[in-house]
Amino acid sequence: MKRPTLLLLAICALAIAACKKVIQVDLNSVAPQIVIEGEVTNGPAPYFVRISKTVDFSASNDYPPVTDAVVLLTDTTNGISDSMVEASPGLYKSIEVGGVPHHTYRLDVTIEGKQYTALSTMPERVKLDSVTFAQNIGFDNKLEINAVAGFQDPPGIADYYQLSETVNSRLIPDIFVLEDRLSDGRYIRYPLYNDSAYFAPGDTLRLTMNCIDRNIYNYFFQLMNVAGNNNFQSATPTNPATNIKGGALGYFSAHTTEKVDIIVY
Amino acid sequence: MIRVTLLLLLSSIGVNVSAQTHFTVSGTIRDKKTGEILIGASVSLLEIPRSGIASNAYGFYSISAPPGKYTLLVSFSGYEPDSIPVRLDQNIGLPVDLATAGGALTEVVVSAQKKNENVTRALMGVQKLTTREIRNVPVLFGEKDVLKTIQLLPGIQFAGDGNSGFYVRGGGLDQNLILLDEATVYNPSHLLGFFSTFNSDAIKDITVYKGGMPAEYGGRLSSVVDIKMNDGNNKEYHFGGGIGLISTRLNAEGPIVKDRGSFSISGRRTYADVFLKISPDSSVNQNSVYFYDLNIKANYRFDENNRVYLSGYFGRDNLSFANTFGIDYGNATGTARWNHVFNSRLFSNTSLIYSKYSYKIKINSANNDIGFTSNIRDVNLKEDLQYFVDAGNKIDFGFSVIHHAMAPGIISASPGSSFNPLTLQNKYSLENALYISHEWSPSDRWHLNYGLRASYFLVLGPGKFYTYDSSGNTKDSTQYNSGSIVTTYTNPEPRASLSFQINQTSSLKISYNRNSQVLHLLSNSTSSNPTDLWIPSSNNVKPEIADQESIGYFRNLRDDRYEFSVEAYYKSMQNQIDYRNGAELIANENVESQLLFGKGRAYGLELFLKKKAGKFTGWISYTLSRTELKIDGINRNNWYPAKQDRTHDVSLVGIYQASPKWTLSATWVYYTGSAVTFPNGKYQVGGMTAFYYTERNAYRMPAYHRMDVAATLQGKKKKKFESSWTFSVYNLYGRENAYSIIFQNDPDDPSKTQAVQYALFRFVPSVTYNFKF
Repeated sequence: MKRPTLLLLAICALAIAACKKVIQVDLNSVAPQIVIEGEVTNGPAPYFVRISKTVDFSASNDYPPVTDAVVLLTDTTNGISDSMVEASPGLYKSIEVGGVPHHTYRLDVTIEGKQYTALSTMPERVKLDSVTFAQNIGFDNKLEINAVAGFQDPPGIADYYQLSETVNSRLIPDIFVLEDRLSDGRYIRYPLYNDSAYFAPGDTLRLTMNCIDRNIYNYFFQLMNVAGNNNFQSATPTNPATNIKGGALGYFSAHTTEKVDIIVY
Repeated sequence: MIRVTLLLLLSSIGVNVSAQTHFTVSGTIRDKKTGEILIGASVSLLEIPRSGIASNAYGFYSISAPPGKYTLLVSFSGYEPDSIPVRLDQNIGLPVDLATAGGALTEVVVSAQKKNENVTRALMGVQKLTTREIRNVPVLFGEKDVLKTIQLLPGIQFAGDGNSGFYVRGGGLDQNLILLDEATVYNPSHLLGFFSTFNSDAIKDITVYKGGMPAEYGGRLSSVVDIKMNDGNNKEYHFGGGIGLISTRLNAEGPIVKDRGSFSISGRRTYADVFLKISPDSSVNQNSVYFYDLNIKANYRFDENNRVYLSGYFGRDNLSFANTFGIDYGNATGTARWNHVFNSRLFSNTSLIYSKYSYKIKINSANNDIGFTSNIRDVNLKEDLQYFVDAGNKIDFGFSVIHHAMAPGIISASPGSSFNPLTLQNKYSLENALYISHEWSPSDRWHLNYGLRASYFLVLGPGKFYTYDSSGNTKDSTQYNSGSIVTTYTNPEPRASLSFQINQTSSLKISYNRNSQVLHLLSNSTSSNPTDLWIPSSNNVKPEIADQESIGYFRNLRDDRYEFSVEAYYKSMQNQIDYRNGAELIANENVESQLLFGKGRAYGLELFLKKKAGKFTGWISYTLSRTELKIDGINRNNWYPAKQDRTHDVSLVGIYQASPKWTLSATWVYYTGSAVTFPNGKYQVGGMTAFYYTERNAYRMPAYHRMDVAATLQGKKKKKFESSWTFSVYNLYGRENAYSIIFQNDPDDPSKTQAVQYALFRFVPSVTYNFKF
């Protein structure tokens, strides 16, 4: 339901041009926080865990990596455990653990004596059935092309989906997550309305669909609600509730993943 | 226990009454020319100074005194005062018709009050405006608007551009009870808040109670906005209207039976959509955006003791976007009233009130045809009685029963759609109240108004009621049958105000009141939406309660030409509502699991100086205030500033009658930016920049300020035809007031982030032509 609220505003903006300008906001500095981002998928190993730190808003987008962390990835269903190795600064790589639906994975991270743990269960895969294109009239009243992902939601199970788009090898920084709370058992055609980038016929689109667990859905749903371009009507911003215990930001997700490459038409 | 107290109170007063023989003079006060009843006219006996009362909402007055010869004084500003000799040797019925004061000048800013009533009455925290007063105050698109104008008064704060909601003394948007001829208006805005639902052509006056609420009102924590519609002229027919850039208005009024009954009809419609349709651009001409509304009122007087009123409102907004998205929403209200004078001392009004708010959303995209509807419907029976005991001694009592039926959401979906059809269960409840209050002047200097409102709320079946654990997961559920009682809440709400008149021109007042609120508006977005969800209190959501103490000093200067007041208030609030992270309020049967509860406190100081007479009139209002919340689960359970927390809030209104033809006016507002949460740091997840937040609402939007000006040119008066042109500019100096500030990656330099401010209106000029015949 992200789009309609924006549309309401757009209608009002038809007659009255909103003025937009970059401003200086004096924001407080904050002690760097640990950010952990870990994934296990049903795709081929290795899997990666990235650990970095926050920076002040005014700093450049260079996030200091956290090196020399002790990172343990465990498949609690079959007991296989990996001591992950640091492939490059802040990026830790798995060795033996494989990604299997219905398995529950645990991540244990130790940084300077502090412990962080997270659990995630990989859901059953739902097949991405089709990717089509539709036209819509965007916020600024321009005709835009958007992708529509089609898939059959399995009835009787709570499913959570995450989608992302890469156009001409560039990730579009928009968050798309949905749950089947109101769509259980339906054939879902999910339009991906872009706020941050547009594509044209002939572009190469890679559409990725992940089946994620409930915690990860909540994490990204909350992140989406406070994300920059949705801020007109958004909730009071807060840090999304993470599944990592111990006081770190970020998430640890075991999910299935599927990619479709298609030329935009 | 409450019932016993009420009985005791009543009987003690009863004893008092029978002690002495009194006779009564009573009647209705009307405008001589139009027959329109005059609300709040001052009536007193010259010989008994403390006998002064104001005519009630139906123009009725009653004064009792020992037998003797008296002079009845009747005054109402904008009208010639009248004095009538009265010999009280029996009860007398005495209707009074007042003539309007000559000369246009006196009409410019008039107050529907006795000149020094602000000083003498016990009530405090009350502001009253008539449509005549707001006529010259400039507003957006030149669309006169009572709700916008009251936001220029102290303690009543504008919620921001594109928002007709307002905050009263730190209360939320849903804590204002907005009544149109007694019917609750659930969504008082058109076009997402740019206009209010109240067509000023149809409105007689508006009274705002922000503290010291009379016991007759209840149901909301912060304020009561009581709006009354015009009755219509009962002598002759009149037509009027206006043509503006945004809308056209038309109204008609006239007698049904001369001197006995009248009607008034007002309608308006916007026509921006007509221009959209002529656009050759297909992406524009498929859009639609309009609203219309209609106010109808009729009344008929059977005899001096019986009169009936029927009034209704219907309004609808329709917004749609390129056939892919559409929403229409609106209110409908209806009020049937019967005034009955039992005897010269006992006045009764019985009302049957209906109110409905509904919206409907349609979305068509990628084979997803879905509809979403929701509505709230009230049926209310209300009885108000006024017993005029003797001079300076009046009792108000009555009851109200409201049946609420809410349909939180119905989803309809085409077979090929991505969504399942769904009907959320309806919510039923009964909101009851019993009240009594006593207005009493023990001496010329002391005026007292005290009372009790007892509210009794019943949550009714049928339905499944859930309980939740502390993290919002469903713990248990119970099925209730139709008509069974799920839970009840009883709230005694004592109210009292006391004023001490220091001298003819100044007084000191204190008041205390408790209010409770059983309906709550859920919205987890930063601005109000037509789709915001009303929910009743339930087994999980307790009624909100507020206790407010206030103290004030009132002073009139220069022969009542200037009015000055200073009021301070402290309000503590219980059972306030906030939301969990990522709360899902849309089509959620378990919406109550998404809520967090806590307490609030608000305090402030309000200064008000008004010039009421002369060529130049207007006012200055200043509010210094703080509003904070402490909610379990938010901001580490520490106090944080509420969104509506405003340190400083200033309004200036000036109206200058330059010549008999030209009236110039200007307003200027300034307020501290609202409290917002900004990021302190940033990090990367999923290849995207995310922001790190520390404290809730620790930052401020930039200060808001704006000046609006208007000039009204009175056309030549022909026989019966009057016309005027109003030219106005909203945001004269083009201040870019921040509507929203967003944080994002710099599109030109991906290694940086930036803050971008969006502003809405800069210089909105408008012109309106009004006519009347």
